[in-house]
Amino acid sequence: MGEFFFNIDHGYLEALVRGFKGGILTQADYANLVQCETLEDLKLHIQSTDYGNFLANEPGAITVGVIDERLKEKLVTEFTHIRNNALEPLATFLDYITYSYMIDNIILLITGTLHQRPISELISKCHPLGSFEQMEAIHIASTPAELYNAVLVDTPLANYFVDCINEHDLDEMNVELIRNTLYKAYLEDFYGFCKNLGGTTAEVMCEILAFEADRRSIIITINSFDTELSKDDREKLYPRCGKLYPEGLAGLARADDYDQVKQVCEFYSDYKALFDGSGNAAGEKTLEDKTLTLKKVKLNVQAYLHQFHFGVFYAFIKLKEQEMRNIIWIAECISQRHRTKIDNYIPIL
Amino acid sequence: MSSSPDDTTPGIFRSEEVCLSQLFLQSEAAYTSVAELGELGLVQFRDLNPDTSSFQRKFVSEVRRCDEMERKLRFLEREIKKDQIPMLDTGENPDAPQPREMIDLEATFEKLENELREVNQNEETLKKNFSELTELKHILRKTQTFFEEIHRRDGPGSVRASASTSATDREPLIHVDDEAHAPGELFRQIFGYDRRTTNEHRQSGGGDSMQGGGGPDDVIVADPAAESETMELTGPAAGHGHAGMFANFGFVAGVIQRERIPAFERLLWRACRGNVFLRHSEIDDVLNDTATGEPINKSVFIIFFQGDQLKTKVKKICEGFRATLYPCPDTPSERREMSIGVMTRIEDLKTVLGQTQDHRHRVLVAAAKNVRMWLTKVRKIKSIYHTLNLFNIDVTQKCLIAECWCPVDALDRIRMALKRGTYNKLEEESGSTVPSILNRMDTTEAPPTYNKSNKYTVGFQNIVDAYGIATYREINPAIYTMISFPFLFAVMFGDMGHGTIMLLAALFLILREKQLEAARIRDEIFQMFFGGRYVIFLMGAFSIYTGFLYNDIFSKSLNIFGSAWANSLLPNETQPFFDKGLLEVPLMLVPEKAYVTSPYPIGVDPVWNLAEANKLSFLNSMKMKSSVILGIGQMTFGLILSYHNYKYFHSDLDVKFMFIPQMLFMACIFIYLCLQIIVKWLAYSATAGVVFGYEYPGSNCAPSLLIGLINMFMMKSRDAGFVGADGKVSWGCSNNLWYPGQSFFETVFVLIALACIPVMLFAKPYFMWKAEKERQAGNGHMQLGTAETVLVIVAVVQIPIMLFVKPFFVWRRDKAAAATRESVRADMNGGDSEAEVVHHEPKTNGGGGHGHGDGPLLKDGDGTEAKKLDMADVMVYQAIHTIEFALGCISHTASYLRLWALSLAHAQLSDVLWTMVFRAAFRSDGYIGAISTYLLFFAFFFLSVFILVLMEGLSAFLHALRLHWVEFQSKFYGGHGYVFAPFSFEKILEAEREAEEA
Repeated sequence: MGEFFFNIDHGYLEALVRGFKGGILTQADYANLVQCETLEDLKLHIQSTDYGNFLANEPGAITVGVIDERLKEKLVTEFTHIRNNALEPLATFLDYITYSYMIDNIILLITGTLHQRPISELISKCHPLGSFEQMEAIHIASTPAELYNAVLVDTPLANYFVDCINEHDLDEMNVELIRNTLYKAYLEDFYGFCKNLGGTTAEVMCEILAFEADRRSIIITINSFDTELSKDDREKLYPRCGKLYPEGLAGLARADDYDQVKQVCEFYSDYKALFDGSGNAAGEKTLEDKTLTLKKVKLNVQAYLHQFHFGVFYAFIKLKEQEMRNIIWIAECISQRHRTKIDNYIPIL
Repeated sequence: MSSSPDDTTPGIFRSEEVCLSQLFLQSEAAYTSVAELGELGLVQFRDLNPDTSSFQRKFVSEVRRCDEMERKLRFLEREIKKDQIPMLDTGENPDAPQPREMIDLEATFEKLENELREVNQNEETLKKNFSELTELKHILRKTQTFFEEIHRRDGPGSVRASASTSATDREPLIHVDDEAHAPGELFRQIFGYDRRTTNEHRQSGGGDSMQGGGGPDDVIVADPAAESETMELTGPAAGHGHAGMFANFGFVAGVIQRERIPAFERLLWRACRGNVFLRHSEIDDVLNDTATGEPINKSVFIIFFQGDQLKTKVKKICEGFRATLYPCPDTPSERREMSIGVMTRIEDLKTVLGQTQDHRHRVLVAAAKNVRMWLTKVRKIKSIYHTLNLFNIDVTQKCLIAECWCPVDALDRIRMALKRGTYNKLEEESGSTVPSILNRMDTTEAPPTYNKSNKYTVGFQNIVDAYGIATYREINPAIYTMISFPFLFAVMFGDMGHGTIMLLAALFLILREKQLEAARIRDEIFQMFFGGRYVIFLMGAFSIYTGFLYNDIFSKSLNIFGSAWANSLLPNETQPFFDKGLLEVPLMLVPEKAYVTSPYPIGVDPVWNLAEANKLSFLNSMKMKSSVILGIGQMTFGLILSYHNYKYFHSDLDVKFMFIPQMLFMACIFIYLCLQIIVKWLAYSATAGVVFGYEYPGSNCAPSLLIGLINMFMMKSRDAGFVGADGKVSWGCSNNLWYPGQSFFETVFVLIALACIPVMLFAKPYFMWKAEKERQAGNGHMQLGTAETVLVIVAVVQIPIMLFVKPFFVWRRDKAAAATRESVRADMNGGDSEAEVVHHEPKTNGGGGHGHGDGPLLKDGDGTEAKKLDMADVMVYQAIHTIEFALGCISHTASYLRLWALSLAHAQLSDVLWTMVFRAAFRSDGYIGAISTYLLFFAFFFLSVFILVLMEGLSAFLHALRLHWVEFQSKFYGGHGYVFAPFSFEKILEAEREAEEA
């Protein structure tokens, strides 16, 4: 039923976002970009794409930092426009998208404070999509409880943080735990929200979020080998909204090495293929990281095959984010004269 | 495309002849030559390095330098606009500067930019200092009042009273929201809290300080017990000196953005567990952001706390909220001193700031004079290098090779421009250079379509181009559209009044076009009207003309020449009505009596405007018929144009097997229909007589053309003449045959038309296939080819014979035996011919199949595969074309009836506006009448302009557009061309300018 009235409220924005998506760089663009010799070349080529003159007013030589900043700025402008024009429930949906960036920002700030970095330097590294008012005051907190009570109570993340309050110290390990716990709570909440929306949105988004949850579970497992993280603690970090839940997650919780992870995943047709291509040594985990990202991109692109749902907005942000990473990767490779790895970007099909 | 001299027909009817040329430019002279060509704007360059990406081309560094210069100029422009200095834009067109000059320009811009940046930086630091000082000033002032309040609380009652009044007229303090909290009590609370804080610190327990995320108001209300305690605690403290008291409590003062205050306050409260006291007050002046210059509102705050731990925390929070902290002395005298110092420094800064701004202004004013001209220059350089990037570089690096399309007419001018380009270079450098060479090349590629246009024709050319760019050298319908378009529009919009309004509006745009163009109004709707001003002008003029023909001005008629109708009613006929007191009685004017003289000389007789009962049926019939005539006329004209196209492209095949059958088809059915209409108009009148040898009893027997047309297709046998053998008027006499031999002619016409369809369908593909086959087989099979031609001709001749002969004889026999005429026989006749049609279709199809069957046999020759594919393509295309034409003729003729329909709608709407709106004003007399006339005129005029002229005009415009695109152009227009886009500075600058303004 929702489809009949979808366009009344969200038709404009959907059209807009599909238009934006049409501007995503193509394979041919990438082929041209990797040929660039200098960042000036990159700028020249990128001007002929949908990005247009976003670098035209930069005085002096271009650096990767500047490109990154401008790319983010463009994304934020587009997102803000969409957010400002959004009606419920799309507005909440879009807010949910920003929460993940908020989590990233909080973690970044906490880690930065742990390492005694000045706050101004950290702030500039934060993703602008996830900025919130109290963000810059995070460094006053020295324990999770303090963090919750002083800073996060007012933010939408408060609900997710409840599970982390009992951690005693903010050390590196705990910060990681906090990050993953937050993410878990966030993903589960978002999943539930999308499920409640129903219709095509639920269909598309649950697929994407389930994959995201499983991806996190797998990566957490692989990364936790040879660390002090106990298996019980590890199990608590798995988001329980993926396809691996419950049996797969239980299997992952018991896993001791890479092969066992692979075995668990082989029971699931969706993930079996992901491990097929990669080697079985844990050292090659970057490769399987790449296949997971590829799959993620694919899912996001597939979101555009359906109509009348919110998944396109999520997918747009994620795809754009991936594209920005690609551009930055290429730019870094160019500026560091490290051309052998320049092809390691993730193409968006 | 051939370049034989007879092709150069007058350019106005077809697009310009364009040839592909190769340019060899000395690398030193290339720049200047391209610059000259850019000024000329008649050459379209082709990209010779399509595989090279934009950053791998030769002149990419120059392009980049131009980009950089442009950026600097944009920066300058922004700064100039920020200071609202008018930019001098004379619209002058400086020549593209020499490459050497580019370095000068770069240096100038560099210097300007650096200077400006330096000034800006200075200004920014100064402004920053200034705003810091201002903030400090405010802090001192606000804290002063705040501290004063505390003093007053301890002073005598009179002071206290004044303090409370001052508290009311000051902005409300966040901790004191209502009048109940007098300043004194407030003070007690502060110190109560602070005292409690120390207690808590000692206990380091104090769990109740977390008040569950309450707002600032809770701060006070939440702790009534503590308040009573503080009362006594502060009691003795009040006796001590204040300076001593403040020493116990640290405080920081600062400035924060106003909208951040609530969050700031909340966070402070939570993070310090309510152990700090915050007061803030808004700064009334609007401060400017130092970096962006945008106004921001700020607030002064002061925070009291105790202990170093809290101090660091508070400072961190302040930092987190980007609040700026300022040192604030403890004692009033120090504060006063500091305040005075700040004031003097502010004054000093103001002078320095003023000087800096003056300097900046001077720099910008100087730049503003040139900035537009520089921009033009830089853009020219950039476009030249972009063009040079399209060129091929010779192996020896000595010269650049370019390929370009250029109009043949302009070749001499292009050569001159090249010579100028090289010559300039020679003069300056006196090197021994070879002149540039322009070489015409032969190509099989279709050249671009270049239609010359001027401001008058461009509107019409756009109408045509919007449908599709004409194929190269195809007839350009814009010339004909120039008259037919406004005319067809006017047929739908025929009203002298509305036409005049439209004409005047267009005239205004035309007479003021220079000013309006200079005003550069970017509004899209205005642009649309302005761009089409000459179209609108003609539409208006033609509307007046057709309005005159329809005799229609705001739904009223003019009786200029005197009506041809007179009142034929005798007084004794009308008297009974007057006797009965009836003033309005419908009376009929019988044509035989009332139609007195010769017809009204031109247009519709005004008497019809009074004929309420049959005005519409008269006008409808007239407009419908004229629509059909106009439509068929236009379509026939389109067919004739197609003949000229075929002839021009030397396509005998198309002339013979496309144009002739199409024309026959058209003539046999539709032109015949038109002739019938005209003859009926001329020959049949209200009076009885003898027409074409048949006795004509009166207007009820005038032949019905529509039913006649249907009967023509049905080949139904009908009686000849209107009066039967017995002298009686036969029933349904209007359906009878009305001229001798009609039945024969109509049968022949229908059969010819039907015979044309297979010819259109199969002949051309067949001949193409055969020609292809001959080409492949070589000369050896020529004999076979001739034999086949003969066979095909025989076959083609056979078709009409098969079709016509039998029906003809049947008809003859029929006529000879015609004692009684039964429709059964005639039906059989019709059935027969239909069977024939069905019969010969598969036969010809078999021929086609035969052609296809031969395909595989030819496979040993190379390229037959491609040919076979081609054949299917041709066949499908031909089938589509034929069906489109045959069905199109019918549906398009019907489509032209929109001319009538819209004209009717327009006339009726304007009638409604007159009778329903304006005429109501005439019902009343005297002052009321005058006032209502005055008011209703505006309603009437407003509605006339907006509904009738604008909306109806738009609708008629769109319909006229459709009639031209679909009905007219489908008869001859290919539209497979692409537009000639020459390299022209004028166009590039205009495009840049538009992008800038958008």
